[in-house]
Amino acid sequence: MKPSEKTIGSLGYLLAAVCFLGIGIVQIIPARASADLLLYDLGGESLYKQYDITPDSYLSAGSGDRNLNGFYDLRQYPGSPPRIPHPAEDSFSGKTQNCLSCHARGGYSPEYQKFIPVTPHPDKELCYQCHVPLKEVKRRFQENNWESINPPRLGRSALGGSPPMIPHSLQLRENCIACHTGPGAVVEIRIGHAARGNCRQCHVPMVQTEPVRVFSRTR
Amino acid sequence: MNLDRRSFLKCAAACSAMAAAGSIFPGISFADWKKQEGASGMITWKKAPCRFCGTGCGVLVGVSGDRAVAVKGDPNCSVNKGLCCVKGYHSVQALYGADRITTAKVKRDGKMVEVPIKEALDIVAAKIKETIDKHGKNSVAIYGSGQWTIPDGYVASKLFKGCLGTNNVEANARLCMSSAVTGFMTSFGIDEPMGCYEDIDHANVFITWGNNMAEMHPVLFSRILANRKRRKDVEIIDFATRSTRSSQASDKSILFKPQTDLAVANAICHEIIRNNWVNWDFVNKHVSFHKGKTNIGYGLEDKFQFADQEEPLTFDQYKAFLDDYTPEKVEKISGVPARDIKYMAALYGDPIKKVTSFWCMGMNQHTRGTWINNLVYNIHLLVGKISTPGSGPFSLTGQPSACGTVREVGTLTHALPHGGVANAEDRAMAEKIWDLPAGSIDPKPTYHTVEMFRALDRGDIRFIWIQVTNPMVTLPKLKRYREGALKEDRFVVVSDVYPTPTTDVADVILPAAMWIEKEGLFGNSERRTQHWEQIVPPPGEAMSDTWQIIEVARRLGFEKQFPWSETEYIGKIWEEYRRFHEGPKHNMAPYTVLKERSGVQWPFVNGKETRWRFNPVYDPACDKGRDFHFYGQKDNRAWIWARPYEPAAESPDKEYNFWLNTGRVIEHWHTGSMTMRVPVLYNAVPSSYVEIHPDDAADLGVVNGEMVKIISRRGSVTMPASILGRGVPPRGQVFVPFFDERYLINEVTLDAFCPISKQPDYKKCAVKLEKA
Repeated sequence: MKPSEKTIGSLGYLLAAVCFLGIGIVQIIPARASADLLLYDLGGESLYKQYDITPDSYLSAGSGDRNLNGFYDLRQYPGSPPRIPHPAEDSFSGKTQNCLSCHARGGYSPEYQKFIPVTPHPDKELCYQCHVPLKEVKRRFQENNWESINPPRLGRSALGGSPPMIPHSLQLRENCIACHTGPGAVVEIRIGHAARGNCRQCHVPMVQTEPVRVFSRTR
Repeated sequence: MNLDRRSFLKCAAACSAMAAAGSIFPGISFADWKKQEGASGMITWKKAPCRFCGTGCGVLVGVSGDRAVAVKGDPNCSVNKGLCCVKGYHSVQALYGADRITTAKVKRDGKMVEVPIKEALDIVAAKIKETIDKHGKNSVAIYGSGQWTIPDGYVASKLFKGCLGTNNVEANARLCMSSAVTGFMTSFGIDEPMGCYEDIDHANVFITWGNNMAEMHPVLFSRILANRKRRKDVEIIDFATRSTRSSQASDKSILFKPQTDLAVANAICHEIIRNNWVNWDFVNKHVSFHKGKTNIGYGLEDKFQFADQEEPLTFDQYKAFLDDYTPEKVEKISGVPARDIKYMAALYGDPIKKVTSFWCMGMNQHTRGTWINNLVYNIHLLVGKISTPGSGPFSLTGQPSACGTVREVGTLTHALPHGGVANAEDRAMAEKIWDLPAGSIDPKPTYHTVEMFRALDRGDIRFIWIQVTNPMVTLPKLKRYREGALKEDRFVVVSDVYPTPTTDVADVILPAAMWIEKEGLFGNSERRTQHWEQIVPPPGEAMSDTWQIIEVARRLGFEKQFPWSETEYIGKIWEEYRRFHEGPKHNMAPYTVLKERSGVQWPFVNGKETRWRFNPVYDPACDKGRDFHFYGQKDNRAWIWARPYEPAAESPDKEYNFWLNTGRVIEHWHTGSMTMRVPVLYNAVPSSYVEIHPDDAADLGVVNGEMVKIISRRGSVTMPASILGRGVPPRGQVFVPFFDERYLINEVTLDAFCPISKQPDYKKCAVKLEKA
């Protein structure tokens, strides 16, 4: 896929672009002495730290560069690792920083004239283990009858105006801030209240593909 | 479906709006909640305090027809400024659980049968009379809650302490914050925090003492996080026995061995004195030094008695007492590196930094709960960091009206709305306001909560009325008290909104109106009184707890004391109650003001709220011309107490080799009788679990989700293991949330309590584990 030629729309986005041109925005979180602390509660520590070190102006900036259709185009089912939509080296070079130099921090890419999406799991460095380049091939080896379910619907609240539940599993997607804030975020899932950092104070998981459980007394 | 033209148009408009949204945002669609039939589509918003914790967030409840349909944070409420937590946002769903109790039930031939509520109230009144006639006035008791509204607790106290003349009035807040009360009373001579939530916007250092604020007081914790992000000169120290969300969010997480907070607090004071970080001007003018009894016991035996004996100390004697608590010595007791103790002392001692300490159940549910409260006050008093914006010790509460109803109304055996039963003037004041003959109130306190249920087991109490609480999940060493309640010749009345293990032991169940189904008032952690009007009607025959008590009181012949009409009783009760607190130290706002505002802080004097007590700039009760005035104590000073480290009532040994700690998670509140019935909250955490350190789990041969049997000398419970889940205890400790009635962890816990506050320690006992 060629980089989009789309120009940046509104003045606000332009301002954001000027602010972040070519610089890494999301800082890398320093690791704690105790590895356990990073591991428990779905790596919740990264969320608090990311919130603390990411500038407000970045959290609340938007670009409209990515939308949900494009997001799912790169996936085979909800939650599958997205393919790489831009030219990348064919084989793993051993230079892990090739991907993470952009995707750990986000910011603006002059090369692709787009804001860069941030990975929710920058601690996983062997990117090609899960993410492969999306290439145009002349002919498929064989067709495939693959089908999957609809992606989770947005805006699911338990009652009018209440905070939507988290519709997806948090495994490898525990850092809300990475995908739901900033100019690299998919426009439909960018949040409008990025000044709040304690996400799971209001949003709790209710995975849409799992049955809804009901409390019943044993007695 | 039958559509008239008007509703068709409405539907068409809504559909096209949805279609439009869908074309802009592919993938978007709307929730699949059941739509209210015949709804106009209009919502009216009514203010209320949140039903759940002691933070006291203001919420706006959205009403359509006669149903609550939505919630938003109240932007006019300074507590939360428009933000809630996940429980608050879904709180109104707790009204509509399918198994709501809507009719009264009475046990007949071993079975609960439905009866009209009037008949059930007749039975309750007759049983009270019969029991008093047969066994004396102290054989009947009422056990309420920090979720009682202020009028609920007030009429309970008036009926039992005033009219019936028994001090058998207790509330579950005894299990939740009585150590905070005795801490305030011994250090300051007057109850409730000197500071307020606005401290969060001024402090540079937050030290949380055994307090997982990220989950238990999330709205306040978010305010801390936002301040840290915005101001950059803010740090958070999480001082705890286990790693939690709060540890993850903190700048430094310091773990200590259970019970050793006593030693660490003394070591911090030792360091402050050694480095001469003492604020001498403050100490010389406003502090006096004291000691009490040591080796004070644990209350494990029935009819345990303890009275502390205060002796004055000089500063030099206090300093000599601290010689046992050098950071190096305390490192050996607590497992906290001496450098971390010195670091905390340096933060408290830094004259530039404003320091706020927060705590809740970790310090209160402690067999030396009063002492550890005193010791944290000592730190703040030595450096003079108190009663000023951003600096102060802040005791958080767990229930929405633990302060309002239990501490302020005095629904504890020794207390009255003003003062205590042992004080003749306080009794005379209550008898006058309650229009009772002199001598109606018994000067002798009877049973604190644990002893009250022991008395029920022994047969000293034969009748107990339980309102708005679930003791058959929450009492420690539960088996004894459940079996006691089920004994022949015990009569248990339970007022509640859902079936619980407590209604399971009831002889009469009264259907209660919940929260916004009645008018009421709560009082939160920062001395804020919050009023709400009735917003939706209660289901079936459900009746407010206040009105249930009034109905029973009238059946017992006390019409004169309970004369109010059903339409205006809350306002009348409030104005009567307010008379107890007249004066600059505790004046409460009038009913008309409370109705209008999203909470008002007391003392409310000359139309102004008091944010920082004991500081003349803010507190009208202070003498003019002083820089501080600690007017609660007779010497007009705050008291520093020499309180030693003493071990827990039960520590792990060779056989029972683990510490057991219990507590909460953000999604569930208390025993889960409300939150388990809210789909979002239940699905987020559908079961309790036991948190085990990964290495201990490996030793046991248990993986995540496998069943583990937790055994103590009292009992056992088998539940799923959680490894690297919400929190992680250190090796040799386990943690269990108590919200799930299907896994009664209190079968295992110990009923040891602080001899001064009589509050049990739910955070420490010894257990062993087996793979089940």
